Amino acid sequence: MSAPLLSVDGVTRRFGPETCGVLAVDNMSFDVRQGEFVSIIGPSGCGKSTLFSMLGGLLPPTSGRIAVEGDVITGPHPAVGMVFQEESCLPWRSVIDNVAFPLELEGIGKSERHDRAQHFVELVGLHGFEKRHPAELSGGMRQRVCIARTLAAKPRLLLMDEPFAALDEQTRLLLGDKVLQIQQELHQTTLLITHSITEAVQLSDRILVMTYRPGRLKRIVEVHLPRPRNADVVTSPEFGATVAEIWSDLREEASRGMAASEVS
Amino acid sequence: MSRLLPPAFGVLCIVALLCLLQLAIQAGIVDVYIVPLPTDMLASLPRLVEEEHVIRRFGVTFGETLSAGLLALVVGVALGMALQHWPRMRRAFEPWFALLAAAPLVMAYPLFLVLFGRSSLTIIVIAFASALAPVVLKTIEGFATIRPVLIDVGHSLRMTRAQEFRLILLPAALPEIFVGLRLALIFALINVVGVEFLINLGGLGQLISELSERYDLPGTWASIGLVVIVSILFFLLLDGGERWLRKRH
Amino acid sequence: MATQEALTKGLALPRLIAIVVILAMWQALALSGLLFRDVVPPLEALVVGFVGVLISPDFYANLAITFAELLAALAGGGLAGLVVGLCLGASRFASKAFEPWLGYLGPTPKIILFPLLILMFGVGVESKMAMGAVSCFFPIAISVAAGVRGVDPVLLKVGRSFRARLDQMLIKIYLPAMIAPLLNGARLGFGVALIGVLLAETKLSKQGLGFMVMDAYQRFDMPRMYGLLIVSVGIAAVVNIVLEHLAIQAGHKKPTKH
Repeated sequence: MSAPLLSVDGVTRRFGPETCGVLAVDNMSFDVRQGEFVSIIGPSGCGKSTLFSMLGGLLPPTSGRIAVEGDVITGPHPAVGMVFQEESCLPWRSVIDNVAFPLELEGIGKSERHDRAQHFVELVGLHGFEKRHPAELSGGMRQRVCIARTLAAKPRLLLMDEPFAALDEQTRLLLGDKVLQIQQELHQTTLLITHSITEAVQLSDRILVMTYRPGRLKRIVEVHLPRPRNADVVTSPEFGATVAEIWSDLREEASRGMAASEVS
Repeated sequence: MSRLLPPAFGVLCIVALLCLLQLAIQAGIVDVYIVPLPTDMLASLPRLVEEEHVIRRFGVTFGETLSAGLLALVVGVALGMALQHWPRMRRAFEPWFALLAAAPLVMAYPLFLVLFGRSSLTIIVIAFASALAPVVLKTIEGFATIRPVLIDVGHSLRMTRAQEFRLILLPAALPEIFVGLRLALIFALINVVGVEFLINLGGLGQLISELSERYDLPGTWASIGLVVIVSILFFLLLDGGERWLRKRH
Repeated sequence: MATQEALTKGLALPRLIAIVVILAMWQALALSGLLFRDVVPPLEALVVGFVGVLISPDFYANLAITFAELLAALAGGGLAGLVVGLCLGASRFASKAFEPWLGYLGPTPKIILFPLLILMFGVGVESKMAMGAVSCFFPIAISVAAGVRGVDPVLLKVGRSFRARLDQMLIKIYLPAMIAPLLNGARLGFGVALIGVLLAETKLSKQGLGFMVMDAYQRFDMPRMYGLLIVSVGIAAVVNIVLEHLAIQAGHKKPTKH
């Protein structure tokens, strides 16, 4: 088997001094292989977003090593694309100029970058909205703009940090469908960070379950649902069984998190 | 400790800059007839206090600032409440007060000189005119942003209009009115000192004008430094006062 | 926009009445003879003075000088304010060390620095430019610093994740994200720079609008002085309101968050 696209080796991140600081991520190791869709799931406050920032090269780990295609990460890596949890469209740019943004940074001329961006605008189903500004779009559409923008940079590894967290349930399911379709079309290697079990099971080949503070790897669950999938997969019995399996793992962590947040 | 470090560094930088200036002047890099030695500026302070009656000038400047600021408060709050009481008037004239607040009234000081003569009255009137609009606008804002539920509480308790005003509206609007007062005093001080300097009359502003006309360089620099420090202390005092009032609220 | 119409409806009448009452009181005062001649000139004299100002070539020559001084002041003070503001906004340490000084020096009356500026730059236009530049430096630096800190941090993460260079971050992320505070700084800076330039001209100058006002005052040509004041105060107020409007519109383009 070929070398993994992403390899995470003993990564730890601590905030504040050694003695009294917060240990956000503790000694995590895992790999993501070419073409795989992996989800990382854990209760809120488990260090998922810290891990996301480290994988994207925005935050250096306290110790351990992250490598993409064998290349150790020291800052944002050209092979990695990030989709953020927060609203991250550039509000002063139209949809097409948002999607073309990474191409513009590379110095690609206007007509060529628009042509290339157009493909990704259509891929996320925003054909006809090219000239609109983010303020004129719904939250789900804005998040699709961000996904198209990140894909336009042609990342070998797509990182997404709870991209659907701010959306309502129906929009989430439909967007999940869209992500599945894109992933199957582009064979895009993807790492999704989420706190939604159904979302993780619907989309992933493997799911990494994290513990609550410090964030450690608790278990890896293989999802054996057939591909290609769509939103209907949520009605199958295997789906329910996998969700239940993960929930039993996660329940303990979530209640620990809840107890901690009620105390503080 | 670490919270005090950045401000301490800032002060240190300024002291270092002054020392550097001193050295540059002594080395002849900076012309001493443009920038006098910082030590000479310091040395001229006792002379300013004794010969130029700095203490009395403080009194004059503060007296003028306070009169103008308080006058603006009384007239401004009354006008603001009147406008708030008649919504149509408010919509008609609030933009006018916004325009007035944006207009550089101090420019018209020759006009005020003609109207009120070369006296403290001119200075107070200009400062009052500049301070009025912000008080009016803040008073309107204070009453307009009262949470409707507070007014409903008043209605549910079947208060009279007078009770509603005294027990609900006024206390709810008070913080914004204090912001208005603070602005009024700041605007008043700026205009008082500026006009004192421009028409060479009265308190601290005149001191600068006089010393510079006498080519007393260290004295001019020292008096400017003094006025800046006095203004800063005045602003700090007002800030502290507002914070204290907000906390009680 | 039916509500908009309802809001502005019925405002013309009270405004008209207010204007008429003010003008009538003015005229009555002017004709009463209570005040010294021409201190409050009658309305027709004001109109003559105002038109006289507008048709005199002298006025435009001086307006051009004031305007040139103002532009130089804005260029110098604005650039310095922009650079200092960017540095203060980018570094929390620098902001804590120096921004309180800016904040408290900002509102002190700058005109008292004029004697020093005359020493450094002479009695000509240069000292007026310096006066305007010193005046507008503070509000611009303070708004830019606040603007930098107000940029949504996720937009910075977007720029970094696409590996934007420093100049790209500045031009493609920071500046467009800061357009509203930048315009607001320009508005405040323009206002105080204009006041600084004009006041300096009234104190010591041989040209410019401020000089014309002082000249009319010394010759006791009141209608002319009123005309000049209406023009200069009017210009300042109008530019202020236009820039404020632009800043509000730029603010509206942002998404509803914030």
